Amino acid sequence: MTNVHRLHPDDDVATTLVALPRGGVVRIAGPGPGPALELTLADDIPAGHKFALRALPAGSRVRKYGEAIGVLRADASAGAWVHEHNLASDVGPSSTRAQPSSSR
Amino acid sequence: MSIAPAELAFTGFRRGDGRVGVRNHVLVLSPTGLTSAAAARVASLVEGTLAVTTGYGRGQVGADADLQFRTLAGLATNPNVAAVVVMAAADDISQRYADAIALAQKPVVALSLPGAREDVLTLVDQGVRAATRFVREASALRREAFALSALTVAVECGHSDASSGIVANPLVGRMMELLVAAGGRAMFSETVEWTGAEHLLAARAADAGVAARILAAVAAREKLYRDAGADVRAQNPGPQNRAGGITTLEEKALGAIAKGGRQPIRGVLAPAQAPPAGSGLFLMDTPFFSPESMTAMVAAGAQLVVFTTGAGNSYASAIAPTLKVSANAQTCARLIEQIDFAAADVDAGGGFEAMAAKGLAQLVEVAGGTLTFGEIVGEGAEVVSRLGPSM
Repeated sequence: MTNVHRLHPDDDVATTLVALPRGGVVRIAGPGPGPALELTLADDIPAGHKFALRALPAGSRVRKYGEAIGVLRADASAGAWVHEHNLASDVGPSSTRAQPSSSR
Repeated sequence: MSIAPAELAFTGFRRGDGRVGVRNHVLVLSPTGLTSAAAARVASLVEGTLAVTTGYGRGQVGADADLQFRTLAGLATNPNVAAVVVMAAADDISQRYADAIALAQKPVVALSLPGAREDVLTLVDQGVRAATRFVREASALRREAFALSALTVAVECGHSDASSGIVANPLVGRMMELLVAAGGRAMFSETVEWTGAEHLLAARAADAGVAARILAAVAAREKLYRDAGADVRAQNPGPQNRAGGITTLEEKALGAIAKGGRQPIRGVLAPAQAPPAGSGLFLMDTPFFSPESMTAMVAAGAQLVVFTTGAGNSYASAIAPTLKVSANAQTCARLIEQIDFAAADVDAGGGFEAMAAKGLAQLVEVAGGTLTFGEIVGEGAEVVSRLGPSM
């Protein structure tokens, strides 16, 4: 089975369920009909962790599951590890996200 | 993928109130801290019994007192319970629980310290004798076949990692869609772990009122943190989550909510509130810690718990068999006596739909009497939340 998951076509990160070494080349196909993506990992990626699918600037919202999972605190290059050192939650008192409303 | 109708049946014990148990426990219930050690001794002395106890039970007021009663009475009337021995520090307390249990058509004996003239050895003697008689009566009950529409299943996750949100939770979510399609009820809780994904839950609400309750429940927990000078993000994600690749609370929530599937949400329940009749997925507004959250759902009548984990988590309900599911290959290989359903290799299992069908089939087996590792090891407990200070 595939161990690298891009969960939504809009996602900025992919998740690997096995540890991958820096310099390794990963090929990511799907979801959806778009072309497969090939990139070189800029860091060691531990099992379960995420890496950037493209260069992401500091301050940008990072998407996984097609949804925002936080805001980048530093630039991340394509293939860079994305975790607590460079990604912060955007819920709670300092949230900048639009508050969900019950009116749909 | 379709499941043959024959597989959509489980065997269980028909109870007096019409509900169906998947286990046949005789419960020793101590709703007062003064009697809890005695209740535990009774349970240790009589095969086939289970003690549910609290350290509190006096000096509770308002919503806190209501929740204590509703939860303990809900646990005692759970369909997995055949009969109950109540042991309390006062006659009126014992009688109040016994009345609620009798209302559910369950055999019950009310014992108390005053009734034993404050002699705890006499109380234990009375408890052992009553429990002994109940176990013999319960053993005469036989399982019958029932449709899955008689099942209420609680879903929980604990010590999640990235594999939980990507594989295990969607798989269990699919199992819950199959259960609901077959007429059953599913529920999940842990309100804080909806934070950042509440808009997706609200969008699936049956109506605008349910959507508003989902958003209000999340906002209320966030306010509790704020009022306490704390940050909702401080404890979530936890250390096992972060080591497993979950970076933020919203990322955790997006993975956590997958365990209910993608189906409509019929309602939001208060802790230990039984869902209304009919099928559907429900949310329950509870603390995120598994012992409190699972107890609230089992007190609402859930006969089974499905519990996903990444790093491993041995906690189980005492009353409801708790099926542990993991999609972390290392965890499945390492914790052989903990993970009941290993879902690390979905492809080898025939793909997502086939794996979900297998998971549901395994849950049906557990309903019918196959033991979970949690039951064998003896990890089960029930823990009632407190909502306020004792007087």
